[in-house]
Amino acid sequence: MKKLLRIEGMTKGQILHQITFDMEPGEMVAVMGPSGSGKSTLLYNVAGMDQPTSGQVWLGDEEITKLSEDDKARLRLHRMGFVFQQMNMMGNLNLIDNILLPATQANRGRGRKSKEELNLRARRLMEKLGITGLEKRKVNQVSGGQLQRACICRSMINGPEILFADEPTGALNKSAATEVMGELVKLNREGTSILMVTHDSRIASSCDRIIYLLDGQISAELTLGKSVSGVEKRREEKVARWLMEMGW
Amino acid sequence: MLKKLIWNDVRQNKLLSTTTVFFMAVSAMMLALTALLFSSLLGSVNGLMEQAQTPDLVQMHTGALDEQEIAQFAGERQEISQWQICRFLNLDNSEITLGGHSLLDSTQDNGLCIQSERFDYLLDMDNNRPGVLSGQVYVPICYRTRYDLNIGDTMRVGSETFTVAGFLRDAQMNSMMASSKRFLVSEWDYERLKPCGEEEYLIEFLLKDGADTNTVSAAYTRQRLPADGPAITKPLIRMMNALSDGTTIFVIFLAAVVMLLVSLLCIRFILSIRMERDKREVGMLKALGIGRGEIKRLYFSKYILFSVCGGLLGLGASAILQGSLEQQIRELYGASDTGAQAAVLALCAVAAAEVLILLSVWHSLKKTDWLSALSALFPVREQKQNRRRYLLIGSVAAACTFLMLLPQNLYSTLSSPTFVTYMGIGNADIRMDIRQGADISLTTARLAAALEQDGQVERYAVLQTGSLPAVLSDGTTCNLIVEMGDHTIFPVRYSEGTPPVLDNEIALSSLNAKELGLSVGDTLQLRINGAETRCSVCGIYSDITNGGKTAKISSSANNSSVIWSVLYISLKDRSASARWMEAYSQMGADVTDIENYVRDTYGPTLVQLGLASRGATLIAVLVAFVVTMLFLRLIVERNRDAISLQKALGFTSRDIGRAYCLKGFLSAAAGVISGLALGSLLGESLCGLVLKSLGADSFRFIIRWEILLVGIPAIILGTTILAVLMGTAEVQSVKAYECCTGRE
Ligand SMILES: Nc1ncnc2c1ncn2[C@@H]1O[C@H](COP(=O)(O)OP(=O)(O)O)[C@@H](O)[C@H]1O
Ligand SMILES: [Mg+2]
Repeated sequence: MKKLLRIEGMTKGQILHQITFDMEPGEMVAVMGPSGSGKSTLLYNVAGMDQPTSGQVWLGDEEITKLSEDDKARLRLHRMGFVFQQMNMMGNLNLIDNILLPATQANRGRGRKSKEELNLRARRLMEKLGITGLEKRKVNQVSGGQLQRACICRSMINGPEILFADEPTGALNKSAATEVMGELVKLNREGTSILMVTHDSRIASSCDRIIYLLDGQISAELTLGKSVSGVEKRREEKVARWLMEMGW
Repeated sequence: MLKKLIWNDVRQNKLLSTTTVFFMAVSAMMLALTALLFSSLLGSVNGLMEQAQTPDLVQMHTGALDEQEIAQFAGERQEISQWQICRFLNLDNSEITLGGHSLLDSTQDNGLCIQSERFDYLLDMDNNRPGVLSGQVYVPICYRTRYDLNIGDTMRVGSETFTVAGFLRDAQMNSMMASSKRFLVSEWDYERLKPCGEEEYLIEFLLKDGADTNTVSAAYTRQRLPADGPAITKPLIRMMNALSDGTTIFVIFLAAVVMLLVSLLCIRFILSIRMERDKREVGMLKALGIGRGEIKRLYFSKYILFSVCGGLLGLGASAILQGSLEQQIRELYGASDTGAQAAVLALCAVAAAEVLILLSVWHSLKKTDWLSALSALFPVREQKQNRRRYLLIGSVAAACTFLMLLPQNLYSTLSSPTFVTYMGIGNADIRMDIRQGADISLTTARLAAALEQDGQVERYAVLQTGSLPAVLSDGTTCNLIVEMGDHTIFPVRYSEGTPPVLDNEIALSSLNAKELGLSVGDTLQLRINGAETRCSVCGIYSDITNGGKTAKISSSANNSSVIWSVLYISLKDRSASARWMEAYSQMGADVTDIENYVRDTYGPTLVQLGLASRGATLIAVLVAFVVTMLFLRLIVERNRDAISLQKALGFTSRDIGRAYCLKGFLSAAAGVISGLALGSLLGESLCGLVLKSLGADSFRFIIRWEILLVGIPAIILGTTILAVLMGTAEVQSVKAYECCTGRE
């Protein structure tokens, strides 16, 4: 089967060294590791927001590391989605306009879709993530959990092949974190690949694979496979044991 | 501790601090320069007039003169302290050669005179009364650079040769706006050359302190004393002296005011940016228990430091620039001894500017609610600030446009051929003056007949001037200088009413109307050709010739009353005018190309104004560039997070930059439009105010539309586009991942 994402010998200054791994389509991979080990840096470099010092990154047939800044931007716009820990949104736009922002940017030139069509798509996504009715709210008028779900909507608005998430639940309380994680798993089940940085072993245990980063190098990998209901407890214990071995 | 805090802050915010000091320094410099130049101009002019003992009242006269009559008048009037009659030997310009240059094309009345006995002295470059030996001549200073003269050059009058022994400051006729120029020769040479020219008289009076020139002048006119020529008063002389350099100073002053406004805007704005930036630290200081007043004082003492630096820098810069700008003033009028006074004035101007800036800063500090700044919802505030920043870019563009437009409009007005109509001269190509000779009327008639036959003439008008006795409705009598003929062919500028057409209509110059207290519809009794005629005032026009006091009627004069006559001519083919004029000057008339005349009269003013205009353009471009770039940079800086987020979401630098460019450019464009409107309307009334005092009424800019609508907008908008592009270049350097990491 063709790989979705391929990273070969990626090095970033003194932070990342010779990172090599790949992802299948539909896979959900967690990156774990102590603070300062280079998880975020890894994500930025893979997603083309930053340029690695050496090594290559492919998304499908496209070699990201070879592209210009503008081409990388276009790639992010059309084929990637992002969810950040800080829940960044434009303060001068309301929730639905924030969600629509990448869509209006992508929807230019020939064959453009009507405004209603885009609106409908945004509303559907909001409905799916359970935040219907908050369309006209300002960014500072909703809770953290709601805001992060809106961010997920925004990341999904252009139908990306892969979603990058940097501690998407890091700023949320436990119940909100569980809910948001549930949404991400649901999206993955529907076919979106996800590469996610997380600190939470419980959340990591619902991923197909875990990569452990230490001092900018991949020190271990744990393959769990697709999770099935009823065995969550066992997976969690397995992950916890594995992490303990790594000195977590 | 306070010192340390201030110093660290200055070091950390180098760009903002430098910009603040820069604005303070530039405003201070320009205001100081205005003060320095103004006081040195006034000082020099007054100094020269004092040393030369300029008369309070001068009546020019051509023709017979009874000295006894004037002596009696002077004896009767108690206001008069001294009087004298100066002789002026008016030469034919074609006879004079100055250092190899013929004065043929000069529009001035050039003539010889000897040093006055009692007052109205002609002074050398050290402001002393020079002694002239026979064979020597002292040349008016204004001709030195014009004809590139040096001491030792020769001046030829007909077949006679003189050696230039030095240059003259003539307090009365220094300005190119004065129509005569006096060359100083020895008495022996003067008498010898008498047959070469026409002798005229300057009847001059020195009044006692506090005496009113107007009453003496009115009494003189009432007594029908010799007055075949214009009368000039001391204030008018002072004004003519000050005008050409005064125009430049006026432009510098305007630029200073605009600069001060721009500085106020920018400094306040930079302050608000600082406060935004310092929000957290201020909160911390407050948490430590430092009061609000204390924090305000902390900020304010920083600005006092800035303003002291800026003020000193500005003073220094103005002192450096003063020397080169003052050169012409010093040459024409001599150095002024008002150094200390000028320095004090400059210091006051600088202090006023800095105090104004500090007051605005204090007001800004007082107005700001620190609490709300602390608890402000960052994004909402940010947007409002953005809008204010764009507004600022617009206002600065408007101010810069205004600054460029005003001198440009003044320049195009003064250099336009139609401007002469403000001076009381018809808008014709050529003017012929017949002021000398046995029978002026005969010469005039002969010329008119020739013009009638001439195929090259498009139109012409014959205007004969006489001094006619008039009786006002309250019974007072006076002599009016009246121009007679058809005034509709080459009309001058009427601020009210129309030119006279009927026999019983009279038009008055605005100064005359004001002095006589007459307006359109009023009547006065005039003796025309011996017959008493009741005339009604039909119009009031603009005139700055002959001291600005003239009148016009439509009936033609009989021979006896004509003092001089003027013929206005427009040619079918202007390019052939030189040869045409040559032919007619043989016939006893003084033929002048009006364009040349205006160029001669306003030449120095125009050169100065051109310089000022270029200087203003330079300042405007610089300010527009610096401010636009600076504020777009700040906008980008303040929106760094949003830009980074957009980049992370897949916007390209070009997409993001374009939005900022567009907004910056649109604000500038809106500013340019309002600047154009402001400069045209407000500027016009400002200049109108100045010219009105000279007698030129209902002033309108003569606008060169291609410069107004294309040139100036192109320069300002071009500058802003460049500034906007450079200001938004920073967008490129914003990294997509910055928003994810939560900077700082
Ligand atoms: N802009 C930067 N320049 C230099 N070093 C950086 C920069 N950003 C992060 N680092 C360093 O890189 C390392 C990895 O950072 P990061 O990827 O944020 O770690 P993690 O997300 O795993 O906590 C850290 O040691 C950090 O100090
Ligand atoms: Mg991180």
